[in-house]
Amino acid sequence: MILSLIILYVLTLIYLAIADRFRNHTTILALQGLLLFGIAIARMHEFHPMEMSFIIIETLIFKAMVIPAILLHVINKTKINRIHSSSSQFGALAMSIVALVASCTITYYMADQRTDMIFFGVALYALLSGLILIVMRKRVFAHLVGFLVIENGVFLFSMAIGVELPMLINIAIMLDILISILILGMFLQRLDNDIHSDETDALTSIKD
Amino acid sequence: MEMLAYIILSLLLAVAPLAVRSERATNIIAGLFWVVQVAAIALLLGLGQVDRVMLTIFRADTLAVVFHLLLTVVLGFSLLFSSSYLKAENVSTNSYKTYYTLLMLLSVAITCVYYSHNVAMTWVFLEATTICSAGIIYHREFKQSLEATWKYIFVCSTGIAMAYLGILLLSTVAEHGSLDYTALQEVISKGNPLYLKVAFLLIVVGYSCKMEIFPLYTVGVDANYAAPAPASAFISTALVNAGFISIYRIYSLYASTEVFVWARHLLILIGILSLAVGAMFLRRTNNYKRFLSYSTVENMGIVAIGMGIGGIGLWAAVFHVMSHTLVKSSVFYQVGIMRHIYDSYSINRIGNYMNINRVGAIGFIVGTLVLLAFPPSPLFVSEVMIFTEIVSVGSWWLLLAMLILMCVVIYSIWGRTLRLGYHSNQDELHLSEVNRRLSYCAALLLLVAMVFGVWQPAFLKDAIDVIVNIG
Repeated sequence: MILSLIILYVLTLIYLAIADRFRNHTTILALQGLLLFGIAIARMHEFHPMEMSFIIIETLIFKAMVIPAILLHVINKTKINRIHSSSSQFGALAMSIVALVASCTITYYMADQRTDMIFFGVALYALLSGLILIVMRKRVFAHLVGFLVIENGVFLFSMAIGVELPMLINIAIMLDILISILILGMFLQRLDNDIHSDETDALTSIKD
Repeated sequence: MEMLAYIILSLLLAVAPLAVRSERATNIIAGLFWVVQVAAIALLLGLGQVDRVMLTIFRADTLAVVFHLLLTVVLGFSLLFSSSYLKAENVSTNSYKTYYTLLMLLSVAITCVYYSHNVAMTWVFLEATTICSAGIIYHREFKQSLEATWKYIFVCSTGIAMAYLGILLLSTVAEHGSLDYTALQEVISKGNPLYLKVAFLLIVVGYSCKMEIFPLYTVGVDANYAAPAPASAFISTALVNAGFISIYRIYSLYASTEVFVWARHLLILIGILSLAVGAMFLRRTNNYKRFLSYSTVENMGIVAIGMGIGGIGLWAAVFHVMSHTLVKSSVFYQVGIMRHIYDSYSINRIGNYMNINRVGAIGFIVGTLVLLAFPPSPLFVSEVMIFTEIVSVGSWWLLLAMLILMCVVIYSIWGRTLRLGYHSNQDELHLSEVNRRLSYCAALLLLVAMVFGVWQPAFLKDAIDVIVNIG
């Protein structure tokens, strides 16, 4: 069960590399939220109401519903549609595959007996995928998607390590991330209104 | 309970300007907020509460208390200068209130970083400082401030997400999931060395956006450029100190591990790269605020080298950060007053400041001399100590690299400082805005720093001794 969810998660990352419509990116992020919910539930050894509630809020509500809703709102407001990629789809796919191979290699050398190798590798692949999106795409919306992919990777990473932080800290971390995304979404709309562009090429007025 | 009361009271006062109608009421609230900070420190010191754990996630250790004291000093000046700055800018009452609210919220978030006794909570409060800073950076609402704000939030959030990965790796050594510094200190030496190395790398790189060191220093420079000058003074000192403390606490944890030498080498590398970046861009920039920001990058590079070299260099690094707080904030305030007069920060266009505002010009020139570590600068004391340690460990290549880069820094800073004082001015003047009392006020901080340059009181030496006692 967990393995099939993980494989699906890897497929979403590969698809994210070649998808060129922002609505598709948003759908994939919502799907990742659902998959993370499934993975977290499947990994629970025994039922804890508090832990269960937190997983539902963090994955099902925030990652699968609230954040995609914020992104859709930004898409509707700014009327952005497609990625203007600085590289071809084939190039993006090739980069993604290289990242996957690199993740497997790093995992092989890094993971010890306390860490789950599969989770570790996929989390690393998610992080690299997010970074690739940020580096290779010009539109700032794609950067926001990249940041969210990294955040999802961090969530998977915490499962790979098997860390259980106190609830208060988990809630504080979750709220911090949510507020950051809200503010990023707000400023992305302002960029569109004031600079009339959402490409990084337009964000070069500050220089020495 | 005292900590909870302090945080709630501070937060209530911070958001109170949003509920009042006038700028005068906002100033009174800001004054009350400052009094609460002073009272909190007085209570901590007066009641002997130092080193006490509060609310399980805070600890009032010497490091936190000393830097909270410094923050309070800089905050007092920033609140005072902000009022004059915002009035000169003719901002709306709403904008005035929002600015003060954000500045006070930023102060609370930074204070929580200082006192945080838990690795994850340090991360949480650092992320909170990003959110509070964003509104201040965007305050002037021009194209560049929007760009700077976007970059600041995005890069800080991504950098801090990387730091969180490091924290997760670090937590593999934690027993029962406890991430407080004391608990980690006891078990960290049992950790997987490879994990510890990667964790340290990720945390330092992630937090570099706050401490304004290589590699993520750029967003801090842009933030200081876009924010109002009194807020830049606060960001460039109190917030940078928050980054320093966050890294310093991790550094202290690593002191008992086998990868400590590796971590120190990494800090030296980051320090020398920061120094190089500072030296290079101090030559290139044409804006006095960016100029001062690159000076922060350069100084924090020296601090990282001090931490990396260890021994007496560590003592010097802590003293350097403290002194830098006083000196850099003073020079930033002087630059804020300059803007009143010239309505510009352009290095190539403005000049003749010595004849326009003699007090301000002397304050700025002496301030930059002190920043360049000319005696009686406290930075001279710390830099000599770092050099002494470098010589004693025989790192001649490091000494040579530092000396070359610092010569470039001295040449760049001094040339531009003289240009401001004596070069002919090409911009329109707004002489009615000259406020010499503020220039004197900013010079006061500089004077205190210079006193520490010739005489370090026993309590200060003792405090730094306690802070650097990490073995």
